[in-house]
Amino acid sequence: MAITEEPHIFLRYDCENARRTFEDELGNDLRIDAFPTDQAAISALEHCPTPPNALFVLASQSPIQASPPLLVHARDTHPDLLKILISDTVPLDMLVSLLEQRLVDRCFEQPVDPDLIRSHVLTSALASKPSLQGVVSVPAAEAPIVLIVDDESTATKYLARQLERMQNDFRVLCADSAEQALETIRSQSGTVAVVMTDQRMPGMQGKELIDELKQSHPATIRILTSAYGEVHVALDAVNEGEIFRYQKKPWRATELLPLFQEAVSRHLTLASARENTLSQLERQFSELRRQRRARLLENLSAPVNSAAGAPAMSLFLQAVDAIPCLAANSSHLRASLETSLEKDLVQQFGEQVQQQLTRLQVTASASTKLDETSVLAALQSAGLAKDEHHNATSTLSVLCQTLTTLLAASGQDWRTLQLSQPSDNQLVLASTAPLKLYAHLLAPLTRLSRPLLEQQVALLLLFVTTHQLGGELQINGAAQSYELVLSLPLAKATVA
Amino acid sequence: MSQGNRKLRLYVTIGQRLFRDSLLFQLLLHNEIDLVGESETGIDTLKSLESARPGVLIIEENLPDNDGLTIAEHALSEHPALAVLLISDTPVSANRLAIYLEAGIKAVVSKHQPIQDLVKTLFYIRNGQVYVGAWQKPDAPSQGMLNAYNALSGREREVARLIASRIPIKDIAEQLGVSCKTVHSYKDRIFVKLGFERLPELILFMKRHHNGAAA
Repeated sequence: MAITEEPHIFLRYDCENARRTFEDELGNDLRIDAFPTDQAAISALEHCPTPPNALFVLASQSPIQASPPLLVHARDTHPDLLKILISDTVPLDMLVSLLEQRLVDRCFEQPVDPDLIRSHVLTSALASKPSLQGVVSVPAAEAPIVLIVDDESTATKYLARQLERMQNDFRVLCADSAEQALETIRSQSGTVAVVMTDQRMPGMQGKELIDELKQSHPATIRILTSAYGEVHVALDAVNEGEIFRYQKKPWRATELLPLFQEAVSRHLTLASARENTLSQLERQFSELRRQRRARLLENLSAPVNSAAGAPAMSLFLQAVDAIPCLAANSSHLRASLETSLEKDLVQQFGEQVQQQLTRLQVTASASTKLDETSVLAALQSAGLAKDEHHNATSTLSVLCQTLTTLLAASGQDWRTLQLSQPSDNQLVLASTAPLKLYAHLLAPLTRLSRPLLEQQVALLLLFVTTHQLGGELQINGAAQSYELVLSLPLAKATVA
Repeated sequence: MSQGNRKLRLYVTIGQRLFRDSLLFQLLLHNEIDLVGESETGIDTLKSLESARPGVLIIEENLPDNDGLTIAEHALSEHPALAVLLISDTPVSANRLAIYLEAGIKAVVSKHQPIQDLVKTLFYIRNGQVYVGAWQKPDAPSQGMLNAYNALSGREREVARLIASRIPIKDIAEQLGVSCKTVHSYKDRIFVKLGFERLPELILFMKRHHNGAAA
């Protein structure tokens, strides 16, 4: 859940000076409870009603022990607590061992950048992590893949064969560059469970590959490996790439086997948790969408339908509903549930539609002669006066203005419309390229923006004015876009 | 460091030309930044990302054609490794920031923050990291710098004032009766202590906070 007050952290320190420096640098942004011993911190962890947002261990005097009781306690009792170690120097062996025991999430050497530290704590406090506890991992349909990335392809091929012979739980593939690894991951759509990459390779480095995978395939478990003891690369990979392990070279198949088995099982848990969350989100959003639609219909059906002389409101909602947008994620759900988005959407859209309908009452009294020349002229003048929507003098000009708004949102203008006359008394305007619509009233939203409202009001108004002129509007939805076919009866003066 | 030579491939989507130019002039002073594209609309941005392949996208929340956040969400669905920095019109609450971060945005900088904040944030997110500045207290952003200024020695403050009045180093040296080298070393120290990289930053700071005061 989002925090409304400053994040609360526990700080275990072994030196008064280091504590003071830390508090000087971060005390303004974080609420710090400091403890001089593991026991004191453990007892506070046991007794505090809400756990802190992060646990810092500031090891400045003595090197940290192999399994500090506090970190072990935190791992076992508060699995979601962010554990950060700050030390004067971090020997690579220590980092490898702490990672292996899952005792730290972030690790920094002194001097630290307070802005960066604060950002890690705030980010973690702001995020709502799906808890992995109680997740039943579903075995993968196909054998999961472990991908080994290293430019020494003879070594990796031999290792892969050895590992394949030793077990049947996973397949082993090799790539001899980060670029090739990305290619393999893309082509194996979702079955790559684990990537172990060397750091030093020609072209893209291992750390860069890890950064990219963290964004694009968060459920793929990342392991960095190197023959060189570059502790800074390892630290960056832990803090930025959130790697599962750091594996030193040379590799031994007998050591890698249990590592990969553990990594695969971790991947299956993560992937199942994601899947659960996604289907849950989908369900929750479809209920929100149902409510939103009901409220919009209730609010606007009467005035819109009576102005159009047709059930324009439900035609409009049907049309947008057939335009698929991005799937709902937790950000959309939080925006809908935790902010006034849903209420504002119905209210602001309603107000703008009412305003436009009032405008239409005035213009509808003017007679409109419908022929190709007048339609073209109206389109042209609407295109010129994009920002001055108040000078519409007829229903036709309002219709053309709505078209202009919709076309402009796709980087098009009236010239991209195709005009045709299939019969003497019919004029058809059709889009020649799909019109883009990245969000609409029934789509998952994070924010109510001016362009969204403007475009949605325009689309609804296009339905209304088309019906007022006795025509018909067809919207064919596709992914984040639609095609538009508008037919108008010709050579008939319409008088409201 | 392994990533030291990796350029930051930047794409900028900002509606107003004046604002976009001003920002770019600042950002392009940094050698590591490689501008791979710019647009004023969301539609153009989505069209060009495939060929421009940026690592970081700076995008305004309110674009002329579409909502910047919606465009960013679509960009991310196609290019999940893209790091997006959103420029908001107003300061963003913790609650909204949480929503943005969950949408995959890496950082939000409001139009009320100093340019230094944006540059700093840009470098923090270059490898796809999330960066959250101090949203808790919208304190006077220049307070830190004022403190740093007050911590300068008397001589340093005098040199800062003279440099900010665009007096040539040679003349300052003459006026103070020291060598040019000494004035240069004062200048370096002032820039380091105040966190500035270029003369206009110092001039602006002096005009804003010490116009005549240090004289």
